[in-house]
Amino acid sequence: MAPLIQVKNLDLYFGAFHALKNVSVDFNAGELVVLVGDNGAGKTTLIRVLCGIHAPTSGEVFFDGKKVERFHPKNAIDQGIETIQQSVGLCENLSIARNFYLGREPVRRILGIPFLDMKAMRAMSARVISEFGLRDNVSPDDEVERLSGGERQSVKIGRAVEFKNRVVIMDEPTNHLSVREREHVNELAVQLKEQGLLVIYITHDIFQVHKLADRIVIMENGEKIEDALTSTMSAEQLEEVIRQGGRVVPKREAV
Amino acid sequence: MIGILAMGQALIIMAGEIDLSVGSVYGLAGVAFITLGESHGVPAAMVAALAIAALAGFLQGMAVVYGGIPSMIVTLGGLFTARGIIYVWTGGSVQAFPDAAQLRPLTRLLGGEFLGLEAIVFWMLIVLALLSVMLLKMRFGNQLLATGGSESSALSRGVRTDRVKIAAFVLCSVLAGFAGIITLADQPQTHVTLGESLELQAIAAAVIGGCLLSGGRGSLFGAVLGAIIIVSFRYELIALGAPSSWFMSFVGALLIVAVILNQKLARMAGRNV
Repeated sequence: MAPLIQVKNLDLYFGAFHALKNVSVDFNAGELVVLVGDNGAGKTTLIRVLCGIHAPTSGEVFFDGKKVERFHPKNAIDQGIETIQQSVGLCENLSIARNFYLGREPVRRILGIPFLDMKAMRAMSARVISEFGLRDNVSPDDEVERLSGGERQSVKIGRAVEFKNRVVIMDEPTNHLSVREREHVNELAVQLKEQGLLVIYITHDIFQVHKLADRIVIMENGEKIEDALTSTMSAEQLEEVIRQGGRVVPKREAV
Repeated sequence: MIGILAMGQALIIMAGEIDLSVGSVYGLAGVAFITLGESHGVPAAMVAALAIAALAGFLQGMAVVYGGIPSMIVTLGGLFTARGIIYVWTGGSVQAFPDAAQLRPLTRLLGGEFLGLEAIVFWMLIVLALLSVMLLKMRFGNQLLATGGSESSALSRGVRTDRVKIAAFVLCSVLAGFAGIITLADQPQTHVTLGESLELQAIAAAVIGGCLLSGGRGSLFGAVLGAIIIVSFRYELIALGAPSSWFMSFVGALLIVAVILNQKLARMAGRNV
């Protein structure tokens, strides 16, 4: 089966800074791939290319066998790639309902003029809010500014899961979350994968995700240094790869 | 008239930018309306004047979005450029509508009186109603506020923030042009300083009306109120017998007081300013 997303010889420069160095990696539908690596390793940069925020300097990205020509978040979303970003994704000055549908607002036509369908926006976001266990006194009309870090994260995850399409990318989704919420998110990631979606999950904590993941991709200084099925390498071995910066290639074996 | 300019300015500020050129665009559209009105008739002149204003907004918006230049600089350039065109176009002379054009129905509609009030008041209310619906009840408004609140977040959700900003600049300039047209339909005489320093009054009105310069928050109704406060100050000062030269200083003091109050109120409401 052809990979759903295929990244070939990707290079990305920010000015003189070489952020991604000749990265090639495949992602398959129905797979949960974890991207790990130290800060500045290029994990977030790589997924920002996949979700259309950055265009690569050179190299190619194929989605579903077709070469991606234009990199814009709108194109990625239209193709079915939902991303939970770490630092962006919610506008503090807008209500939860308005944030939920930002960029894909449902409209109701009155005399042919498209007005926002606020009723639908409220109803849907209210359901997700209660599913994700936000405080009872949070209403869809509240501005995101009033939410705590964990609640903001829950809104972002809820939104991505609600609009799940073909790919869900999660950039450190469990940041700011309590232990129980963290488990919930990890369960969701597995559920999405079992529904046949591609899930790309970025984290620092290899031990937390080793049991969830099908495959682990390790990055270091903008390069991919390891790409291994979790069935062939233990979390300890993978951690050793990160610690050594890819200088030591451990023996693969079934675990 | 300042009310219409202030609403355009409020939209730009809510989108996270600023437009210093509205006074000059107001003047330029006014000059176009009067000079073309003589030769091509009033309706054609109105369309042409609005098109010139829209073009001014479009070019400035493109420079801000794709040139990556701060809007403060781009529109400062726009302020001087448009003003320069006014000087060249009029050659510094005063131009006026012939009497016949002043009596044309469209001129009367734009600048006449209705129910004992100047038509400009009704135009302002119509614009306020239309823009408020657009801002609060339509997609473009949602995306404009999102762009002003957090451009990177809006972008990451697939909002075409470049288009949103350019549209905001076009809208602001068209409103400035429209304000120029209806003012001149009422008092059909141009002079080269037409609209000078109006941009600052428009910004002041928007800020007094509660727009945060950091973007994402503000109110069109507030901008109109701010404009009314500024204009009524001028008349109050004259009525009180104070020298009208003090007007500018009062606007300045009012602006600072309004911003302080605004921040205090926002903190009381639990917001970060």
